[in-house]
Amino acid sequence: MTAQSPIEQEVAQLLVETLKLKVSAAIIDPVQPLFGDGLGLDSIDALELALAISKTYGYQLKSSDPDIKVIFSSLRALAEAIEKNRTK
Amino acid sequence: MRDTPLIGSYSADDVLAWEQGRPRTAGQFLAEGSHLAEIVPDRPTVLNLANSRYEFLVGLAAAILRRQVTLLPQNRASESLRRLVDDYPHSYCLTDQGETIEGIESILVQSQQAIAPCHMKIPRIPIDQVVAIAFTSGSTGRPMPHAKTWGALTAVAHATGASLGISSRKPLTVVATVPHHHMFGLEASVMLPIMHGAVMHAGRPLFPADVANALAERVGPWILVTTPLHLRACLTEGVKLPPAGLIVSATAPLALNVAQEAEQYFQAEVHEIFGFAEAGSVAHRRTINGEQWHPLDGVRLNQDGGSFLADAWYLPTPVPVPDRISVNVDGRFSLYGREADQVNVAGHRVSLGDLNQKLLGIDGVQDGVFFLPEDESPLVTRLMAFVVAPGKTNEEIQRALRRRLAPVFLPRPLVFVPRLPRNETGKLPRESLLRLVQEWKERADHGF
Repeated sequence: MTAQSPIEQEVAQLLVETLKLKVSAAIIDPVQPLFGDGLGLDSIDALELALAISKTYGYQLKSSDPDIKVIFSSLRALAEAIEKNRTK
Repeated sequence: MRDTPLIGSYSADDVLAWEQGRPRTAGQFLAEGSHLAEIVPDRPTVLNLANSRYEFLVGLAAAILRRQVTLLPQNRASESLRRLVDDYPHSYCLTDQGETIEGIESILVQSQQAIAPCHMKIPRIPIDQVVAIAFTSGSTGRPMPHAKTWGALTAVAHATGASLGISSRKPLTVVATVPHHHMFGLEASVMLPIMHGAVMHAGRPLFPADVANALAERVGPWILVTTPLHLRACLTEGVKLPPAGLIVSATAPLALNVAQEAEQYFQAEVHEIFGFAEAGSVAHRRTINGEQWHPLDGVRLNQDGGSFLADAWYLPTPVPVPDRISVNVDGRFSLYGREADQVNVAGHRVSLGDLNQKLLGIDGVQDGVFFLPEDESPLVTRLMAFVVAPGKTNEEIQRALRRRLAPVFLPRPLVFVPRLPRNETGKLPRESLLRLVQEWKERADHGF
């Protein structure tokens, strides 16, 4: 598994807490897919996650973001998008 | 035989839909629908998988014009679609993204700018023509089909419109967060606008910011067709919605305090529709006016022993109400939740028996059971499942489940146990199951 960067660790923790995943945040592979065959997340998770990200980082996710599929493709991509767009 | 027009009163240049920032006029829609009707294969049934609400509608119209029946799959899981094709082998599939289903022909439906809008007469459809089949999950594990006539879909659209008072709201745009291939979505996000000369927004906003953006694209009054889940998300996020709106929620009862907060914050009336796939929408309430439901025009609820039957002129036979209700002398009723086998996860109804059958059908699974915990989550309480499957990994079982179930029903968590606490008759009493859940929670809290 690829090692998590500090921001990835933080976002992994947010993911696990928000979605009540019964896995340890540390074992989420930053390059593994979050949806479908990876962590198996669905659109309701995406909605819950978007609310948590907005609350924690002040970044409002939109489906119309051209790279929304990329943003949600892995922990690494999500953490990068948060770093780039965060307002708090 | 009586027939009624395919769409409400639009002139050819009126906007019927709004797709990706572009208007689609009624004339263009009629031209595209009849053009597609000419090229689809000669088959009795069609799986319409179009993601755009507009392309879905074009496909639905083409099928109706060809007297074909549109199948409304419960979900997109590959195994569900394969079984549907097994049951309806002479189907074809309509898609707007090029997906295919093994074993059947796939036709691409994509709005073409090239077709010149023409001024044509609106086709009329016989009210007893079966136009769609919805499916519910039965305790036997087989999806149960429910045929929908043109008369049923149009009657529900008109009755819903009357209960919401939408004829006074013009020009009206309907935006929906719900999928159009489920009964409520088909009725409220497709049939409702096109029967009332309104603009149907083709998108399906997910995030609160998407909802606000979709509503910002329109002019004039709007209706947001949504669920308690999305409405709570919009409130939590505090998005700003334009004025002159009305919110319609369905799929699960809305809490009174959420309705009050939404009415106040969005300055919009909040209404709810109650229904089930077997009968379609049957009742309405404005949540802040009291917990009682008003049957839609033409719907009656008649007692039949301990349960109730919904009846209407457009239903071939009275349909059992899957929820426990009590009906007043004036016909209004109160709702007390689903019958035992049925559970609701994030607005999706499913039979626990059906889920258990699917779990037990997986190679290497010796025993297993689904369970819906009662604890309060911020948005959604997820199902969990216990499974006895020596030699199998969690990942293998989850992967097999993903092929058989809608993602929303996947167990969280899936817990491996050596055996289930069944009694001597092989039954799994609820108390034993609750004890098993309790034991698991205690162990989980200790870091196992």
